[in-house]
Amino acid sequence: MMDLTQPQWVKHVVFHPFEGFEDLRWKKGGTLKYTAIIIAALFVAMIADDRWCGFQFRPLPDAMFSVMPYIMKSVVYFLAWVLGNWAICTLLDGEGTMKNICIYSSYALIPYIVSTFINVFLSHILVRDEQVFFSTVYYIGLIWSAILLFSAIKSVHQYTFTKTVAAIILTLFAMLVILFLAVLFLSLFQKVYVFFYSLYTEILYRIRV
Amino acid sequence: MKKKNKRSYRKQHCAAAGIVCLLVFSSMSAPAAADEPYDVYNYNYLGEAVPSQAGYLAERSVSGLDLGTTALNAPADLFKDSEDFFYLVDSGNNRILKIDSEFTEIVQEYTSFTMPDGSETTMKNPKGVYVSPDTGLMYIADNENSRALIVNPDGTVEKEITKPTSTVYDQQLTFLPQKILCDNAGNVYIVLNNTTKGAAMFDASGEFIGYYGANSVAPTAEVIANHFWNAIASEDEKRYRSRSTPTAFDNFDIDTVKGFIYTSTSSGSTDTDIVKKVNPEGYNLFDYMSNFTWGDLFSTWYSGTSYKTKIVDIDIGDDGSINCLDSTTGRVFQYDKEADLLFIMGATGDQVGSFTAGNVAAIETKGENCENIYVLDAGKGSVTVFGQTVFGQIVHHATTLYNGGYYEEALDPWLEVLKRDGNYRRAYLGISSAYYNMGRYKESMEYAKKADASARYNKAFERYRSQWLRQHLTAILIIAVVLIVGIKVLKRVLKNKRKKPADTASSGSGS
Repeated sequence: MMDLTQPQWVKHVVFHPFEGFEDLRWKKGGTLKYTAIIIAALFVAMIADDRWCGFQFRPLPDAMFSVMPYIMKSVVYFLAWVLGNWAICTLLDGEGTMKNICIYSSYALIPYIVSTFINVFLSHILVRDEQVFFSTVYYIGLIWSAILLFSAIKSVHQYTFTKTVAAIILTLFAMLVILFLAVLFLSLFQKVYVFFYSLYTEILYRIRV
Repeated sequence: MKKKNKRSYRKQHCAAAGIVCLLVFSSMSAPAAADEPYDVYNYNYLGEAVPSQAGYLAERSVSGLDLGTTALNAPADLFKDSEDFFYLVDSGNNRILKIDSEFTEIVQEYTSFTMPDGSETTMKNPKGVYVSPDTGLMYIADNENSRALIVNPDGTVEKEITKPTSTVYDQQLTFLPQKILCDNAGNVYIVLNNTTKGAAMFDASGEFIGYYGANSVAPTAEVIANHFWNAIASEDEKRYRSRSTPTAFDNFDIDTVKGFIYTSTSSGSTDTDIVKKVNPEGYNLFDYMSNFTWGDLFSTWYSGTSYKTKIVDIDIGDDGSINCLDSTTGRVFQYDKEADLLFIMGATGDQVGSFTAGNVAAIETKGENCENIYVLDAGKGSVTVFGQTVFGQIVHHATTLYNGGYYEEALDPWLEVLKRDGNYRRAYLGISSAYYNMGRYKESMEYAKKADASARYNKAFERYRSQWLRQHLTAILIIAVVLIVGIKVLKRVLKNKRKKPADTASSGSGS
């Protein structure tokens, strides 16, 4: 029973928001390979949403293209989520490993990614008066993903409903802290780097003179 | 000897040819020699300053001596009447010069006027002049005599407006008219420099009616906080609280055809109501453009000084264009009647076409399409005459057609504009509108995109989509039918295929 291949697992999980992840956990399905593909798709979706939409819905993209904001919006946020959730739920007696949190969370993002791509396509054939279709697709994708993500966290840690809510709220806080620390570290390392570099040039100058 | 002669002759010939060549080349490059002493720019759709073609070139600078009189001394105002005569207020010399339409010679010099009782009166530091197109009466803001004069063209005073005795006018205030104009009904508007309530308004008989067209208060955080505290303060406390007052506008012009009065505010401390279009009721029709920046979009900071646009005078051209004079940078900003930027010209400096920083006084335009712009430089005591270039003519032509709703007729002029200046954003808008009206939606979309006008793009796209659907309806239906049938057939085939191996398996096990 339920001997599914990996692609079938993805389908099963997405279309069974309430018991899909429990099955996945029970059968130890899901691989990191799909996580990588999904996050890559998320990255592309972010770019598509920003730059490939029809002109009637989105302003012209900047002439300068920087990949950093899109990496930030996809990979960095996802990693912060996984890390934050793992850190919080280790303290809250969660059963999920880092690998499982990664896999389950990424599978939950699929409806959102798909809705984004559908919207990018729709934005080329709809006009502004029909924006309601656009936002309908967007909200369906968003809510679907939110339910999946909730269900994913609930299953991966074997939590009750209230505990999952608390864990998610705490995870969001943890993400903030992680991102804050990341920015802090980055600027700090930059300062350190500048310090050593000026030291180096100073010494070089002394040696020469 | 002969040979030598011949050679020298040849030499002379060569030299002559060379000179002719030089002359020809120099005359050919004459426009280049008359290049403006500044970089011409305009703003693209991103609000970036980009190089542009000049719409106007400074042709000459006219001083008092050029006009055959003594040098001008701190002239304050320039006005063109409906018959194209210019009136130049030479404040320092207490006179008004009437100059012919070519701006070459003085027609009349007003230094004194005859009062109704027969006595002579002179002006003292006059600041503004206006000539009514209906009656030909001259309105003079006689600043230091604390009065405004209404004078017949022959120099007899028709009426004298002095400080109002009405209680509405605060009697502690002086009455120092700065600028003056009258509307079609004969009401007189006077800009005073000591009130923020607007222009003092007098009816045709010279009675003070009230104030007209005050600026609004900029809604800064301080003003909002003040409003809140005033609401809960007692009457006693309120007396000591600071009050939020708007900045006063300090110049205006009237669109004699439509009857709108345009005001300009030169205050550097506010961004609201820099230019207003006020209807006879006193309502500002440019109110909806509260986020619009008049003049330069970005002001430079240099050594602690802000070089922010200060619009000291405004002129409404015969074609409805709004011409603003910026005293900080010595630039003229020309807008069409919808407040879309057409051209920027002028600079600070000493060459023709540039002005004394902070000391330009007035701007006037002449011609049905604003063929000439006149800028009065108080510092130099001269008037600079700008003439329209071919590019300027085409843009004005296209703009007039476009604003009149003749989009298709404006197409060719706009295309011509683009040939000369690919950065000119309004041309893209114009072309997009023209193609839209002609039913060429694909092109309309393309140009709307180039102009970054997404609402227009949306409109064109909607029509393009329905056009496309109508054209390809049969093809779409055929494809749909083929797809549906194809999928059904494919499903059946797949089913059969799946069944077959099962059949063989079962038959295999059976045998």
